[in-house]
Amino acid sequence: MAEVRYEKASRIYGFGGVGAVRAVNELDLNIADGELLVLVGPSGSGKSTALRMLAGLETVNEGSIFIDDVDVTLKPPQDRDIAMVFQNYALYPSMTVGENMGFALKQAKVPKAERRAQVEEAARILDLEPYLDRKPKNLSGGQRQRVAMGRAIVRSPQVFLMDEPLSNLDAKLRVQTRTELADLQARLGTTMVYVTHDQVEAMTMGHRVAVLDHGELQQVDTPRRLYSSPANLFVAGFIGSPAMNLIETDRTGDELHFGSTVVPLSDDVQADLKASASTRFVVGVRPEHLIQTPDGAPCGATVVEELGSDAFVHASMPHNGTEATVVVRVDGETAITRGDNLTIAIGGPVHIFDAESGVRLGKPVT
Amino acid sequence: MSNAVVDREVDSKKESRANEIKRLERREGWKRRLPILPALLFTIVVTQIPFLFTLFYSLTDWRIDKLEPRQFIGIDNYTSLTEESEKFFREAAWVSVQMTVMAVLFSLIVGTMLAILLDRKFFGQGFIRTLLITPFLVMPVVAGLMWKTQMLNFNFGIINWILNGLGQESVEFATRYPMGSVIVVLVWQWSPFMMLIVLAGLQGQDPSVLEAARVDGASTFGIFRQITFPQLRPFLELGTLLGAIYLIQVYDHIEVIVGGQPGANNLPFYIAQRSIGGGNRFGLASTYSIIVVIASIIIANIGLRVLSNLLEDDS
Repeated sequence: MAEVRYEKASRIYGFGGVGAVRAVNELDLNIADGELLVLVGPSGSGKSTALRMLAGLETVNEGSIFIDDVDVTLKPPQDRDIAMVFQNYALYPSMTVGENMGFALKQAKVPKAERRAQVEEAARILDLEPYLDRKPKNLSGGQRQRVAMGRAIVRSPQVFLMDEPLSNLDAKLRVQTRTELADLQARLGTTMVYVTHDQVEAMTMGHRVAVLDHGELQQVDTPRRLYSSPANLFVAGFIGSPAMNLIETDRTGDELHFGSTVVPLSDDVQADLKASASTRFVVGVRPEHLIQTPDGAPCGATVVEELGSDAFVHASMPHNGTEATVVVRVDGETAITRGDNLTIAIGGPVHIFDAESGVRLGKPVT
Repeated sequence: MSNAVVDREVDSKKESRANEIKRLERREGWKRRLPILPALLFTIVVTQIPFLFTLFYSLTDWRIDKLEPRQFIGIDNYTSLTEESEKFFREAAWVSVQMTVMAVLFSLIVGTMLAILLDRKFFGQGFIRTLLITPFLVMPVVAGLMWKTQMLNFNFGIINWILNGLGQESVEFATRYPMGSVIVVLVWQWSPFMMLIVLAGLQGQDPSVLEAARVDGASTFGIFRQITFPQLRPFLELGTLLGAIYLIQVYDHIEVIVGGQPGANNLPFYIAQRSIGGGNRFGLASTYSIIVVIASIIIANIGLRVLSNLLEDDS
């Protein structure tokens, strides 16, 4: 068990100067002992690269990485005491399940009897006992995933690294395994860094979630706070399903408009708006924070997604001279159909971002 | 009563339908078999019929330098193989075994090493790969001549020139080490073939498996021995089998480099010597051929099995 620290760590592809790509740029990140931290972002965001830098599979071109205050930046993977689970599991095809799980211990010259005991213990935790003598090719996807997990936990490493370990499973199994994995991590109490592109997975599993985009850390916080207080436009749009409504608008003096209504602004946002020289802003409202009210902005329903308990209404709203699409969450019982007219207004927290820089206005919501 | 008539009608309808389905299936079968037929006939004509003829010749005493007609002598040719007069045959057989085993083994080793070196990204990779393949593209006779004159020659061969430069005496390689000289040329020519096969195996590996092994603490050599090598097994087996099939038939190199002096005459060379090469003993030479075919099949089977078991134990 250990804490992990990235200090201005960068991974640069190409030969410096022109054409060099910073896949991960000056990443600063502290991961506490026993924490499950999720790295999330779209493809190309550098989340996997950041994980592989910690594993020692990618060179750290600038900055350093510490595991338990030991600088591991220049150490090869085998000297870092980490275990990694790969997206395609990367099981050793010529070895049985038992040999796969015991491989790391064999490399560490652990005596055979002890090795066997540890493998059996891990197999018991993961319900893999009947499969110990099988080859990976004779296992199902879910079983392979568990073998990959088993290979990691047998070693009792300082840190678990997970590179999209669930993305090759079917949807149902993924949801189930997600819970088991979070439970396993909690029981073992081992620090875990978990990479995924799926924001639902990130929100449900992570103690904290770090959002990356284009190699830059956008925000790192608890799932709750990422949702309620996104630090910038990217996080606002990335976290949450369905996504936050992000409506671009021109300022009218010190007022912002949402359709035909004026956006209610808190004092700190008002102050930031006054101080700002920008003219274009983005109003962000979550679908559940839009309410139907007679004096709201008029709009017309185009698509209705019924989810049973709720329904999401996609509506077209005249705004700033064009039509903007907004998503409104309504009660599942309300009978709204395509073509219905409704009037909506902001009835909850609103997030204002500078359209140019994407930076949030006002203090974060606590 | 009318019911019975209806039933019979239904039955006959069912029957004709079943027949129709059978007919369609048969036609489908012929559609699949027919295109292979010409190739099958051709193979029978050019391999199986000559083999049967050879089998027949091997049971005769047939010399074209004598006036006596071909005589059927039963298995006398076969029984004579154990006699003192046939010790050259046994020698040639032993040379064939040694030459094939060594050439296959060394070209596998060299080819694997080259494949490992090539299995990484570097500038000019394609060019180097092409260069490394070229020995395999050279005609066997040309390869033999090149090595005999340019490399191994006593007076102006490159190897002797290097030896002289190092203060050593020149060596008449082809005379003093006839089999060694031939094997060197064979390895030079066949390593690229093995390299290509092993390279295909290396490139078929999942890179994340190797990364996983590194994270699990295996050394570079450990990864090769425990992960890569077992995965290369089918490729090594294929290389061994194909290499052995071709190398057991080597003739040109021997003809060019050592030209019949003792010590490097393998079976194909000896068979040629005893028949069209002046020996004129066609019946006896046919017997040799039959023995070679049978022995090859047996040895190839045993060899493959032994090899698989060896590697199985290792992994």
